[in-house]
Amino acid sequence: MFQTILRRELQEIGSSFTFLSTLVVLTILVPLSAYIQARYYQRLGEDYDLRQSLHQSENNSQSIVLIRPIPPLAPFFNGAYDSLTDEFRLLNDSATANTPSGDVTPLERLVPKIDLSFIIGVLMALLAILLAHDTIAKDREQGTLKLILAGSIQRRTVLAAKLTGVILPITITLIYVVLLYTTVVIVFGGGLINLSVANLSVLAVLMLVALISLILTASLSVAVSASVRRSSVSLFACASIWIVITLIWPPFGPYIASSSKPISPSEAFSRNMISKEKELIQAELAEHRKAAADLKAQQVRAEVAWQRYLELRRRWIERRNEEIGRLVSARKEQIRDQRVFARRISLFSPYVAFKEVLGSICGTGLESYDEFLAAVERYRQQEFIPKGIDLRSRQKPWLNVANPDDRLQLPPLQAPSPTLSERVEAAAWPLSILIAEMVILMMLGFLSFERYDVRV
Amino acid sequence: MEPSWSLIWLIAKKDIIANSRNFKTPVALVIMTLLLLISAHALAVDYQGRLNNWSVNRDSQSDPTVGGRVSYDLSDGSFSHGIAISHNPPIQPPQQFSAMVKGMDGEMDRTVSVSQRIVFGARQDEPAISAIFEAPDTSFVVKLMVSLFALMFSLDAAPREKESGTLRAMLSQPIRRWQLILSKSLGNSISLLAAFAVAYFVEIIHLQLAHGLLTDRQSLIRATLIFGLASIYGVVFVHIGLFISTITTRTKIAVTMAFGAWATIVLILPNASVLMAKLLAPTPSYNHLNARLREARRRILQEDAESNPVARTARPSKHSLPRFYEIERQETDNYLASKKDQNSLARLLAAFSPAGALTFGSSDIASTGVDAYNSYLELFRSSRDIMIDTFKRSLDQSPQEEGKLVQVALETIASKQRRAESVGASLRSSVISISSLLVWAIFFGLAACWRFERYDLR
Repeated sequence: MFQTILRRELQEIGSSFTFLSTLVVLTILVPLSAYIQARYYQRLGEDYDLRQSLHQSENNSQSIVLIRPIPPLAPFFNGAYDSLTDEFRLLNDSATANTPSGDVTPLERLVPKIDLSFIIGVLMALLAILLAHDTIAKDREQGTLKLILAGSIQRRTVLAAKLTGVILPITITLIYVVLLYTTVVIVFGGGLINLSVANLSVLAVLMLVALISLILTASLSVAVSASVRRSSVSLFACASIWIVITLIWPPFGPYIASSSKPISPSEAFSRNMISKEKELIQAELAEHRKAAADLKAQQVRAEVAWQRYLELRRRWIERRNEEIGRLVSARKEQIRDQRVFARRISLFSPYVAFKEVLGSICGTGLESYDEFLAAVERYRQQEFIPKGIDLRSRQKPWLNVANPDDRLQLPPLQAPSPTLSERVEAAAWPLSILIAEMVILMMLGFLSFERYDVRV
Repeated sequence: MEPSWSLIWLIAKKDIIANSRNFKTPVALVIMTLLLLISAHALAVDYQGRLNNWSVNRDSQSDPTVGGRVSYDLSDGSFSHGIAISHNPPIQPPQQFSAMVKGMDGEMDRTVSVSQRIVFGARQDEPAISAIFEAPDTSFVVKLMVSLFALMFSLDAAPREKESGTLRAMLSQPIRRWQLILSKSLGNSISLLAAFAVAYFVEIIHLQLAHGLLTDRQSLIRATLIFGLASIYGVVFVHIGLFISTITTRTKIAVTMAFGAWATIVLILPNASVLMAKLLAPTPSYNHLNARLREARRRILQEDAESNPVARTARPSKHSLPRFYEIERQETDNYLASKKDQNSLARLLAAFSPAGALTFGSSDIASTGVDAYNSYLELFRSSRDIMIDTFKRSLDQSPQEEGKLVQVALETIASKQRRAESVGASLRSSVISISSLLVWAIFFGLAACWRFERYDLR
């Protein structure tokens, strides 16, 4: 009986106008979006090479520029990659990494780009609703539900068959969409997209998470369908819930968080930090003036004075790191608090949770960005500053040698590249919310159907 | 009044009363008021934060640069230590109307330093409001909710009357079919727009009383124009609903079709038009510009070295500097022009879909749209011209004179500040979007009339 109901559901969905028209829309939209993303990725790659060659010739012991490597799966999920700074200038005499310059991309403010997360999280979720909203209510309206239940079949078997009948076409569509998207991205990606085993496993996880999110939406629709008597009411209820949790709530979350948990404006923080640096610079200059006068009075040789100067310089760099570092960590703490709050109020939306998981596994989320910032800070303290001082200690500026070699021999920045299990672990919280919501909605569907009044 | 016109109004009135009685109008009123209030509050707080950010930046412009140089003069040689720190480059003030329609205003919060080049700093809203989702401003709420409620009001116009048998009764009166569609359009549009007008009015009052915004005449005119634009957008969807109701016989199919049409028009088409604009008018990245300028600099240095091998420097010679400035000017102008072209093309293509026309049109009226952004870029371009002209003039001057000239130029560009465009200019820039929405409204209205002429009453 399970198979009979399943076959009937599959036949109905397979020949339905909704399913076929959605397939047509996806077949047009997916390649278009994937093509744009492939082009965008290609441009990112070209830009990355350009920037590296630009900065390599400019880097010296006083200043270097670090560039964030492009996440290999960025064309699948752009996440926060576009909107956050990916280039940092480290300065020998400043305790913070500043940002040199950036491109202007005003159109993204009006209309965010379409990527795979939008296609799955919004359009395919809509398909799941359209397919699943009338699974029960329609059979009741047509009177077939009575006939089905007249046999010795249990209600939960009927619901399981109907749910499977929705999940199967959705899974096939999902596989079709991901394969089509991946193919277009690879073909037009200019050979930049590296589908290594690691990246393929990330894509497999992405597909699994997408499936969970779609099953969740289908379960929601089935649960609503098993709680109301008319399929038009079910569609209205499902669509309203979908609009609220997918379209309305996600953009509001961060704004509500920033108005309920405000932090000082970035310029106020920056001004505060600059004024602290000014204090330190004045004190440092005073000490240098005193040291210069003392060394002159003691008539020491330039080489000895140079070593004393470097020692003084090292001490002031450390002090600046310590005092400015304290301000920076306090600011980071505020930002983190606000972000955690935004996450708490947004994550109940499966779409936000889905995007959070994708951000973690594709390396384009805020967590991955934080890891990169931490790597930049480590690099500054462990490589750039010590090696810069080391190079200076070998120089002899008092000899007035023309164009001394001021180029630092630095190892490349080791950007964090977490393993798949680490990525999934980082996404544990939103992933558990997705799974918990899916299970709860499924159970709700089964419970409602047990009490469902089948009379027409 | 002709008998048919009084009948049209009578049927419209019947629909208005029916929409109130079956709670469609009250539900739309409550939901839209609630969402517009949350949106107004969140965006007003966001605007105050951005304004605060700008005012701190403006105050910091007068902070002195601190630093100095210490010379270690010793018997067998000397070396020196120099260090300095200055304030951040200036940012431009946010537009007050961005509390309603944020548009591209967030992109204009960046620090921008202008000399012979224009350098855009990082974005300011890094902490929480990342650009993963669009800003939930009034335009966003209108785009989603007004269209949905419009469909909800008009979708069952023909089938409901048909099922209840009133359609035949109505058409037995001296009224033509297109007039019946007109009365349906009137009744449902009035029901929708009455609810929206109240919600919108409450939002404006909230912004005025709780946040002290939009109190001047200009802002109120802009608010009224945005209301007008949103109303036409609502009427477009009322007509789409009527059209769908005339081509389907079952409410269920009508609802599914409307939902699909809504998702396509509101979610897909605006994105697709911007994607097309990016494909048709690609822009070079800032790094491409940098690479071109570096190449030009390298070429000039090489020519300098060939003409005068003794004086090898890292900067172009005095003789080559004017040419170098001109190359900088030309390359940057090309970069800015390509950005402007892409923005304008995106607006033009977006006008082919009602939701795109609303997004671009409302931001144009609010002075946070494409033209406002293009004039923001123009502001830096003209400031950059002043700096380049000053640098050129100061080439033959003494260092003191040069310092004075540069100081005057810096003061001149500091006094140039971004201002909201006049209402007339904003209206002119939104003409494409307004016309597009009107054309859509008429097109779907006529399509509904045409289909209804063949509608089977049985």
